Amino acid sequence: MFTHIFINRLKCLLHDRETIFWTMIFPLILAVFFNMALSNVNSWEIFKAIDVAVVDDTNYRNNEYFKAALNEASKGADRLFNLTVTSKDKADQLLNENAIVGYIVVEEPIKLVVNKSGIDQSIIKSFIDSYMQTVSSINSILLENPAAQKELISSLADRQQYVKEVSGTNAEPNNVLLYFYTLIAMTCMFGCYFGMREVTDIQADISPVAARVNIAPVHKLKTFIYNTCASLLIHLFEIFVLLIFLRFVLNVDFGPKTGYVVLTSVLGSITGISFGAFISAIVKKSEGIKVAILIGVSMTGCFLAGMMYQNMKYIIAQNVPVLSYLNPVNLLTDAFYSLYCYDTFSRYALNMGCLCIFIVIFCLGTYLIIRRRKYASL
Amino acid sequence: MQVFKLYLKVLKKNIPSMLIYLVIFLFFSIIISSSMSKEQHVDTLFNQQKSNIAFISEEKSPLIDGLKHELEKVANFVDLPDEKEALQDALYFRSVYYILRVPEGFTESFMKGENVQLEKMAVPNSISNTYIDLCIENYFNNARLYVQHMEGISQESLVQHLKSDLSVNTSVELKTKSNKPQNHIYANYFFSYMAYSLLSVLILGITTIMLVFYDNDLRRRNACSPLSTRSINLQFTLANFLFTVFVWMIMVVFCLLYNLENSFNLNTVYFIINSFVFAVCGFSMSFLIGNLVKSLNAIHAICNVVTLGLCFISGVFVPPYLLGSSVLKIASFTPTYWYVNANNQIAELTQFNFSNIEPILSCMLIQLGFALAFFTTALVISKKRRFE
Amino acid sequence: MIIKVKNLVKRYGDLVALDHLSLSVNEGEVFGLLGPNGSGKTTAINCILALLKYDKGEIEIFGQPMTPDAYDIKRNIGIVMQNVAVYNELTVYENIDYFCGLYVKDKKTRKKLVDEAIDFVGLGEFIKFYPKKLSGGLLRRLNIACGIAHKPKLIILDEPTVAVDPQSRNRILEGILELNRQGATVVYTSHYMEEVEQICSRIMILDRGKAIATGTKDELKAMIGIGEKITVETYSLSEEQLSRLRKLPNIVSAVYKNQTLEIKADKGLHNLETVLDFIKKEGIQFGKIYSEMPTLNDVFLEITGKDLRD
Repeated sequence: MFTHIFINRLKCLLHDRETIFWTMIFPLILAVFFNMALSNVNSWEIFKAIDVAVVDDTNYRNNEYFKAALNEASKGADRLFNLTVTSKDKADQLLNENAIVGYIVVEEPIKLVVNKSGIDQSIIKSFIDSYMQTVSSINSILLENPAAQKELISSLADRQQYVKEVSGTNAEPNNVLLYFYTLIAMTCMFGCYFGMREVTDIQADISPVAARVNIAPVHKLKTFIYNTCASLLIHLFEIFVLLIFLRFVLNVDFGPKTGYVVLTSVLGSITGISFGAFISAIVKKSEGIKVAILIGVSMTGCFLAGMMYQNMKYIIAQNVPVLSYLNPVNLLTDAFYSLYCYDTFSRYALNMGCLCIFIVIFCLGTYLIIRRRKYASL
Repeated sequence: MQVFKLYLKVLKKNIPSMLIYLVIFLFFSIIISSSMSKEQHVDTLFNQQKSNIAFISEEKSPLIDGLKHELEKVANFVDLPDEKEALQDALYFRSVYYILRVPEGFTESFMKGENVQLEKMAVPNSISNTYIDLCIENYFNNARLYVQHMEGISQESLVQHLKSDLSVNTSVELKTKSNKPQNHIYANYFFSYMAYSLLSVLILGITTIMLVFYDNDLRRRNACSPLSTRSINLQFTLANFLFTVFVWMIMVVFCLLYNLENSFNLNTVYFIINSFVFAVCGFSMSFLIGNLVKSLNAIHAICNVVTLGLCFISGVFVPPYLLGSSVLKIASFTPTYWYVNANNQIAELTQFNFSNIEPILSCMLIQLGFALAFFTTALVISKKRRFE
Repeated sequence: MIIKVKNLVKRYGDLVALDHLSLSVNEGEVFGLLGPNGSGKTTAINCILALLKYDKGEIEIFGQPMTPDAYDIKRNIGIVMQNVAVYNELTVYENIDYFCGLYVKDKKTRKKLVDEAIDFVGLGEFIKFYPKKLSGGLLRRLNIACGIAHKPKLIILDEPTVAVDPQSRNRILEGILELNRQGATVVYTSHYMEEVEQICSRIMILDRGKAIATGTKDELKAMIGIGEKITVETYSLSEEQLSRLRKLPNIVSAVYKNQTLEIKADKGLHNLETVLDFIKKEGIQFGKIYSEMPTLNDVFLEITGKDLRD
């Protein structure tokens, strides 16, 4: 009986090619888009030179050191600035036209004129700050030790790095990965459509075909579970396609614990399907409304897990931490992430535990509603 | 006007679904715009935001105290226990963005002139972290100069020197046109984010209704009626368009309500015009999708691909300066890119002469071009489908 | 007795859909449930099948109480519902095979049964078609095949010929009779009296959830006073002639309207002769004359005062 029902259900589901195609393809396309958008983020460097001007007055011409520092920063392929040396009026004009980010006036202290605050402006300011602070140090040193001038110049050029990045585990916290994990979680939640379909086809007060099945000598719940297995198979296949695509085509790293990644996906798929079944069972209205609720809840879940705006995740975590445990999308995302990031399993187990609670609630709710064999009206 | 009235009836029947979509995406818009604009407030003073850091020192020395003092200019200190899990958790949940660790023996080695390093664990790509890095590097590089060229200097005296050196600050003059700085940040984010929310509601709403109409029997019945196809199409388009305008209006009203004090200027007018142009574009996109799709489930998937995908590469979720140039080139084949582009320019607009407005107008024209292309394609497809 | 229903009551809120309905179906008969729309036929069927909750009553099938868990009973029931209940995603063959497979586990037997079912309904040319591509009549045939493929002992058909072309309809009715000949008990509901008259051995007429008459065709027709109905087309008839006509023996009523004379007579062998004699004697000009036996509609009309088709 299992094979008979299972195989026929598979045939039924696979017939709806449009849905299968789109639910399989869409996460792949989105992953490609994410990849395109985020590929630069991790290797983000200020590699576009900033347009600055400096006022060509006596102060500037007399300040050899500053001139040298500025010129040094303005030449070469990976230079910091594109420098224009000009008069004050011309500099003002350039600033008004937004042709330059700001201009420098050599005074005591050096002044920077900008027309708004932003990253580029901050960079120029930091450069000047750095310069002036070093000059102050040099002056102090020369006061005590005038002979040190020559060596000072060579020391200046020999700038050291005093901070090194150390990671807590093999893997560092990585923003980009979070997007992909949230995408996987979203795909898991898409299983809700399969769940919805299963309930529709087994509830006699929703479809005539279900009535026929209800009269047959098969246990209704067994039929439901066998049917759902077929849905689960197809959905899992879609998720695995996504995982393989992410891993081998886009080189997204899941960390070393592959088995657990698969387990998480399976649980995620079950969550999505049971969620759809649950909503379909309790919402007794038209299909349009059911779909709207499914879309609404899953998109809100994705939003709160940080898919569109990553800081959302942290805002929730800081302000309403309970919510991050009530959101299945977030639980899945965190589960994947903790597999990647942490050595221990405590956080992973916590997330999986919460997910299992959700599954139990959804399955129990669905069971309580569909186990009814006799209906009040057909 | 029968088809038109029918459309309205179908719309009315589907109001609960439409409301759900509208409320949810509006909700997203408002929350994101509020959060994002808080992140980047415009100051009259030249301030950078302080981030939360944890400072863990395995030793105590005046040199390190001096560093801490300097760091207070760019960071807030958060107390964390020195346990691996607690630290990882803190970074994971962003209660701190940066963890600095001073290894034992650092000061001693440093004062001897050796090359030692502090350890950091940080959230990547955070601009505030860059300032922290810069602060530390400046501190120690300047300190190195002293150590190398002032023999036997004491830590206390070193710290004193550094304190006065590092207090030197560039004076910054912020030139703005008006006395009160215009804050278009909220509006900029809200309207840019509309590329996601408005488009989502339009696609979901319009395709849901079109699916009802394109149900075979209804379609055939309409095709048999004495109304010309042209009239049917016209009424249908008109009704869809009305729906679009309605949704657009609600979103604009909400933006204005939330940002009332900053809304009475010409920039807002341009934002609104730009968003209307985009709404037209969104309408034709939805119309095209509605003609291509045959099942309700597929709509959600397609909607996600179109809205999320386009918004990601056009700089709605990831700021444009973080996107590579090749990505932007690909994005320029989508209307979303031009919409966001125009929005960003409008936010910067201080003078409204033609030379400043012209690039914005061309962005809008390009969007209209897309809209026309989508619409005509949709008409061709719908004609083909009629004879299925 | 295959089906025994005692005092079935089903309410939808204030509306009483089934009002203390009792019926019994004997083995081997074709039992017809006749009644206008809304009389409770489908409700009764759904209650009998344990699909619908009912407020009061006892239902037994094959001598056992009927419950949703009674798989042994269900194994021997075949149902053809009013709404076409097939999967649009499976072909004709796959549909029949699936539903048969819920009753018959053995693959070989099942294949034989499915092939026989397809032959029986005449869908041999269409086994690879999907339901969306079938016309209304063929779709109904598929609906039937799905219900009877497993050769059940009891077959329940709920208005199976709605929206079906005459050719398919005849085929369906003949098929049902054939199934009955092969040993199945059939319960057939409809509001088409011609079909019920044609195939049912015993008929129950329902109105507003109550059984108002039960019996064979002839028993039912004997219930009403009319034995024969004679219709005469005539261009003129005076009141006197009408009253004289009414006084004739066996004549129950005579009504002249729109140049048509309708006469209802008691059962008798010479009614037509009597009327014709009278007309000739009076010298009444006439056009067509027809004589009909009363129909179930007449039974219904007499008992309830309204037409079956209302």
